[in-house]
Amino acid sequence: MKYELVSGLETHVELSTKTKIFCSCRTDFGGEPNTHCCPICIGLPGTLPKLNKEVVRYAIMAGLATNCEINLISKMDRKNYVYPDLPKAYQISQYDLPLCKNGYIQLDSGKKIRIARIHIEEDAGKLVHKGGDVYVDYNRGGVPLIEIVTQPDIRSSEEAREYVEKLQLIMRYIGVSDCKMQEGSMRCDVNISVRPEGSEEFGTRTEIKNMNSLTFMTKAMEYEKNRQIELIENGGKVEQETLRYIESSGTTESMRGKEDAHDYRYFREPDLVTIHTLSEEVENIRKSLPELPTARIKKYIEKFGISEKDAESIVKYKNISDFFEKAIQGIENPKIVSNFIIGQIFSTLNNEQEKESFDIKVSAESLNELCKLVESKKINVGLAKSTLLKMLETGKNVSNFISQEDMQSISEEKLLEICKKAVDSNPNAVKDYLSGKEKALKVLIGFVMKETKGKVDALNTQKNILDTIKNI
Amino acid sequence: MVTKEDIIKLAKLGKLYLTEEELDSAVKDMTNIIGFANEISKVDTGDTEFDNINGLENALREDIVEESFDEDLILKNVDGGKDGFFYIKKYQN
Ligand SMILES: [Zn+2]
Repeated sequence: MKYELVSGLETHVELSTKTKIFCSCRTDFGGEPNTHCCPICIGLPGTLPKLNKEVVRYAIMAGLATNCEINLISKMDRKNYVYPDLPKAYQISQYDLPLCKNGYIQLDSGKKIRIARIHIEEDAGKLVHKGGDVYVDYNRGGVPLIEIVTQPDIRSSEEAREYVEKLQLIMRYIGVSDCKMQEGSMRCDVNISVRPEGSEEFGTRTEIKNMNSLTFMTKAMEYEKNRQIELIENGGKVEQETLRYIESSGTTESMRGKEDAHDYRYFREPDLVTIHTLSEEVENIRKSLPELPTARIKKYIEKFGISEKDAESIVKYKNISDFFEKAIQGIENPKIVSNFIIGQIFSTLNNEQEKESFDIKVSAESLNELCKLVESKKINVGLAKSTLLKMLETGKNVSNFISQEDMQSISEEKLLEICKKAVDSNPNAVKDYLSGKEKALKVLIGFVMKETKGKVDALNTQKNILDTIKNI
Repeated sequence: MVTKEDIIKLAKLGKLYLTEEELDSAVKDMTNIIGFANEISKVDTGDTEFDNINGLENALREDIVEESFDEDLILKNVDGGKDGFFYIKKYQN
């Protein structure tokens, strides 16, 4: 029998506000243990939480950017469980009135992954286990999170990966989170079940907790899918349980079963008042949203004539896309700019991480200056390319490599003159060409390029050289 | 009515380990506590609508950093902690 994977994702995203959700402690990652703490975020009795305004705004931004409706009336609830990472023995979260609901993210295939809800909550502290003892650092405790919960619409690990990548990019574009999975500012819980293909009913699901890498997430999903199928094929039944993925062995293991499932006994947080957002405020936030990645890709393809592949590889990195937007100011044909980015600039970036940080020595203004010289035909593309590589290496501006003289265009007469010189000075190359070695022509063109410092058009040069040879 | 089963369940959720005698007295205590709290439901509130925060809304704070507490103060209630951390020794049976 063929089986189908059914999966839904719960993604935690740490918001990049300056302060924690209920106190004014800083949210910076790292720091000496327990140095970003106060009586509120270590849960001392008698303290009162105060909700950070910016957390509400960021969550609404996230909701609008993922096509959600906003609950104008919302509130906080207590989720009770006893664990050392939670000093109050409850987490302040949202239960039945999350800030956002009923959104979606659209995959490249056109399929929509529906978002059931986005709610705000506080992060827990960090536990360090050493020889059975537990050390607790509450610096992260109280850092604001949004949890984005999808419907069980995902049918493959590839879809899950694409959904997370799209979500990550949207959050980065609207600036609510850096979404660094390796630093834990984005983490996914994955719900997984399988069912016979064509079946409408859902199978029993398991949940893999805390995936913090896309590679491991897809591996874990594949492993868990196959484990469940094998189990069913052998007459067994999938138990509803919470799992942990073991990176070293590529397998999953049980953290707790259904009988140990938490009973969170949610109830309204009596220390925090109702969150009442006006529809005008929501509209203002909507208007203030920056251009989203899908809109940018569309613009690059339809308005600028950039290929889909190139548009996607620029938009994939917010830093690069922002750089591109700056570098095309006053440029007629932005394709000149995108070609330089994807050609010369990308050639100096060795991996995903380098593209993400995009720490290069050429400013957008400087690239813009270079592209304007190309567009006004003051220099040709070849010279611009080699100059850009020098700029990337040294961090110096265009003017350091191209003089005023270089920018003067070369007249047709002058070009013909230089071509004649090329033919005269390279009799062997001419002989080779005439005896059928097409490649010898390159030597002659190269000579002209060197003489003109690459200011002339290669095709035009070739034509002039051929004319000269014909007239010998 | 609070049953022994309720108390066992609550104790488990709260990671509390109670002896038989402690369980029996907890049933009695919890019955009293709930009875005490239930007194409030006898109040005739007429047509007034209540929620548990008196209809208050939007007490929001600006996102401005204030200095956190000294680590010494934070760890004062746990005898200074260990290496700057709150510290929980391995549970011994
Ligand atoms: Zn604090």
